[in-house]
Amino acid sequence: MICYNCGCRLSEHDFCTGCGVDVSLYKKIMYMSNRFYNDGLDKATVRDLSGAVISLRQSLKFNKNNIDARNLLGLVYFEMGEVVAALSEWVISKNLRPKKNIADDYIDMIQNNQSRLDAINQTIKKYNQALVYCYQDSQDLAVIQLKKVLSYNPKYIRAHQLLALLYINIEEWEKAKKELLKCCQIDTNNTTTLRYLKEVEHMLMPEDAAKNAPKKKTSSDEVIRYQSGNETIIQPVNGKDKSGVSSLLNLGIGVVIGVAIACFLILPARIQSAQADINDELRIVSEQSDVKTATIDEQQQKIQSLTDENQRLSDELASFEGTDGALKATDGLMMAVSTYLTNPEDIETIAGYMESLETQEGEEEETRTASFTALQENFLTLTGEQLGTYYYNAGYESYNADNYEEAIPNLERAYRYNETNADALFYLGNSYRRLGDNDKAKEIYAQVIDNFPDTRRANEAETYLAEINNEN
Amino acid sequence: MIDFEEELKKFHPSLEVEDAVEAIYNQDLTDMADILIKMVEKTKEKEEQE
Repeated sequence: MICYNCGCRLSEHDFCTGCGVDVSLYKKIMYMSNRFYNDGLDKATVRDLSGAVISLRQSLKFNKNNIDARNLLGLVYFEMGEVVAALSEWVISKNLRPKKNIADDYIDMIQNNQSRLDAINQTIKKYNQALVYCYQDSQDLAVIQLKKVLSYNPKYIRAHQLLALLYINIEEWEKAKKELLKCCQIDTNNTTTLRYLKEVEHMLMPEDAAKNAPKKKTSSDEVIRYQSGNETIIQPVNGKDKSGVSSLLNLGIGVVIGVAIACFLILPARIQSAQADINDELRIVSEQSDVKTATIDEQQQKIQSLTDENQRLSDELASFEGTDGALKATDGLMMAVSTYLTNPEDIETIAGYMESLETQEGEEEETRTASFTALQENFLTLTGEQLGTYYYNAGYESYNADNYEEAIPNLERAYRYNETNADALFYLGNSYRRLGDNDKAKEIYAQVIDNFPDTRRANEAETYLAEINNEN
Repeated sequence: MIDFEEELKKFHPSLEVEDAVEAIYNQDLTDMADILIKMVEKTKEKEEQE
């Protein structure tokens, strides 16, 4: 900063160190100029060109020698399409600072391109001509001229705004809006542009206006206005009755709509949902049934295998039982021998053991060993006569008591253990005859006749045999 | 509602290139600093006269 009085560079003091002039106020003016320049620069950065022009012009009013502010103002004018204004600022800037001034480059850029300078000049002339057409009410010609202007200089804000104004006047709202939006792209905060745009957007929403108009009309029709003293009374016409009827009507319509919604929207959805649930449950039950069927099949297979196993084991057990039977027979014989050795007179006990041996004898003869058979034969040699006598006495006693069923086995045993006992065989035949088993009786009598010929029992047997034959 | 006639009055003819020189010469470049200097000078003159 230089002293306005002597040209000396100023220090931080409020007076000039060269001439002593008070520079406090001068410094404040310079600071204000710089502050407006900064503000203009900020606005130009965000494309608020109108705001930047205002700030930069303020800056130059405080300090006309603020070269940066002047150059920037020229640049902003140029961006807005105001080429002559831009050139003016740059020329002044160059005159104020002839050297090291970027305005020199700007001027050269325009003046060195003669065709461009001519185009700019033609553009300005056409704009002015369009303005003349507007004043003459030749708006069509004005629109044509302005379109030509904008084809040469698309950033000419004033031409865009004038064209938008003409479109607004002929109610071409969409076209007007298009031009104004182009303006906003160049200069975002131009007051004129925003005002026109607000008007155009308002006119482009006829629905709201149409909605508002009948409402006002109906509201004014449905009231009675009258003056009571200083007060204006506004009374609705038949408000209560209409509201009551309309309420009922609305309620009925609401109920009908509700039922319709339930029938056509909610109910099918619920049915579909229920069917889906049932299908899911059916699927689950089906899956469970399949699992159970598989389990049952598996169990049946197990049962079958167990049954087979059981059968196999039963067969095996039966084979073992055969062996067991042989063992039991051996036990019976051993016990009989043991009893005989202990008490040879206890024929009854010995007979009991031998009966058990006899019972199994027919069934398991094949399983018996040679040693067992030899022991049995030797034992019968010793006790056979006694056993025969024992069984004969028991059998004869039963025979005399007419108990032939009990007598027959004892008499058979008696004859088996003692084959010389003709009485035992004869009474056996009688027992069968008395029981009515004549075939068996004839067989026994034949044995008596064959085994004991020429004896009294043989004669008696022949007699009875003849009787039986005669009966037949 | 925009009044076309009134709005049209706000639009002025642009300066043509030929008119630029004249416009520059006619531009009032007086700033606050010039006014301050004049005020200081007048004040000094008054003091000297007194």
